[in-house]
Amino acid sequence: MVVATTGFSTLARLTGKSGGVADLRVAEYPGQIGMHDAGQIAHHVEQALIDQIVEGLTRTDGNTGTGAESRERDPREIVFSGSADEITHHFNARDWSDGLPIVPPTIARVEEFLEHTGRSPDEEIAVLPSANLRATPWNVAVNAVMAGCRPEHLPLLIAAVEALGDEKCALGSIGSSSGIFPYVLIGGPIVERLGIERGGQLVSRGPNPAIGRAVGLIVRNIAGYRPGASYMGTFGYPLAIALAEHQDSPWPPYHVDEGFDAGASTVTIGVTNNWGSSPAPYDTPDKPGAQTALELLCREVMKKTRLFHFPARGPDTERVMVTLLLSPPVAKSLAAAGYSKADVKRYVYEHARMRLADYEWVLKYTAIMRTTARKQVEAGILPPEFAGAPDDMVRVLSGPDILHILVCGDPHRNRVMVMEGGHTQPTTKVVRRRDG
Amino acid sequence: MEKVEVVSPLGLEAVRQAGVARRIQSLDGKTVGEFWNGVFKGDLAFPVIREALKKRYPGLRVVPYTEFPHAPHNDHAASQRELARRMAVLAKEKGCDAVISGMGA
Repeated sequence: MVVATTGFSTLARLTGKSGGVADLRVAEYPGQIGMHDAGQIAHHVEQALIDQIVEGLTRTDGNTGTGAESRERDPREIVFSGSADEITHHFNARDWSDGLPIVPPTIARVEEFLEHTGRSPDEEIAVLPSANLRATPWNVAVNAVMAGCRPEHLPLLIAAVEALGDEKCALGSIGSSSGIFPYVLIGGPIVERLGIERGGQLVSRGPNPAIGRAVGLIVRNIAGYRPGASYMGTFGYPLAIALAEHQDSPWPPYHVDEGFDAGASTVTIGVTNNWGSSPAPYDTPDKPGAQTALELLCREVMKKTRLFHFPARGPDTERVMVTLLLSPPVAKSLAAAGYSKADVKRYVYEHARMRLADYEWVLKYTAIMRTTARKQVEAGILPPEFAGAPDDMVRVLSGPDILHILVCGDPHRNRVMVMEGGHTQPTTKVVRRRDG
Repeated sequence: MEKVEVVSPLGLEAVRQAGVARRIQSLDGKTVGEFWNGVFKGDLAFPVIREALKKRYPGLRVVPYTEFPHAPHNDHAASQRELARRMAVLAKEKGCDAVISGMGA
């Protein structure tokens, strides 16, 4: 049986169901244990938990040991009939939508989308955690319709689902109360063909919002991430973001860095915990603009405390990904100064540093894992520099490879943004059109 | 207002439900293992749970979480599966009749 704190017992049960144990026994510890001292913990365990644990281990009922066959639903089954407003209300009441009005997913509209893929409507694309449900072109199309996508977006969303289902993406790990949500990076000729925005205000223009929303609905309805039940972001989630790199980038595009042909159309799923500030580096008499940009990126990285909680070092630890958004003028300035993307990553890795004493503070008072930097050094998780003196400046990034650079946004502005994301790695898939 | 018929956006079931393992009649004379994922103060909660259970069932044997491997914050599905398999084997080897897994917060 499982012990979970208040608010997380539903998550424990849903996790059980996703693994084939729908009637998992869960004992609920009352309140938030992170804010309780040892005396409060002892009190709550003795007063509230022990009886539940004993009952959970000994009470015999339900279908213990028998198993239960789940019913296979007909995807074409009509689940509701009503006006557009009534449909939106019905879907929101069941947590099938994000609170915004939806386009009604009628069979005719879904079939219109399916004309843009050569795949069979019921073919399995992936089984998506956390609920471990099957994604098919049909149910991907349903969510795309709801989000307001166009039919020709379906192949792109099928590729996104392939990425979500890849274990590299580790989709099953994004339910954290830190609030992790996906972004979609679209690359290659499909950007031009579908009119994906990549310049100023890109995430909120053109087809980008609908595509991002569709991925969010897929994560909700097919991956089964329900806010407050299994998707535990403390302050919730904005709509998922769709990005594309600007044609004026001085560097090869992201998907080429990842080993795909420049002519391939690709979708990359990444994640972020934030959509935040975008400070501007300036060229000044005492410092070139490129150098300012590098230093500014380091300063922005240092604000992302997830990096310190999640060192992402070692083969079996958390993953961290940090996405650096650079507007084209910033990227061009760096390229003109001789920096490649790899050079920028190496610079930020080497220079994003903090006092060891400050790192220890973050680890001691804000990390859920009870450990110290020295213990992590002894365990081989952190490098020896973390066992130094309190004023030593230590590198907070595990390596340059957790940094991912995207050139996008307003081609007339000099701004950068750092997005920190936990538990996953960017995962790229090729978009396949109906004709192959 | 025009009414239209709509279909479900949900994913399809892919996992056969097996049900929980058969429960034990009483904890008297039984062995219970502790699985901890290394976070959310399980190191404070488990000792209290352990002592409270032993007080209620003097014949109970508890295998503490320190005798099982754990990999906190492991985002690698394959190694998570392998770890779970190893823990299950270890629990059987140590004679566990039941396991308490925590903490989740």
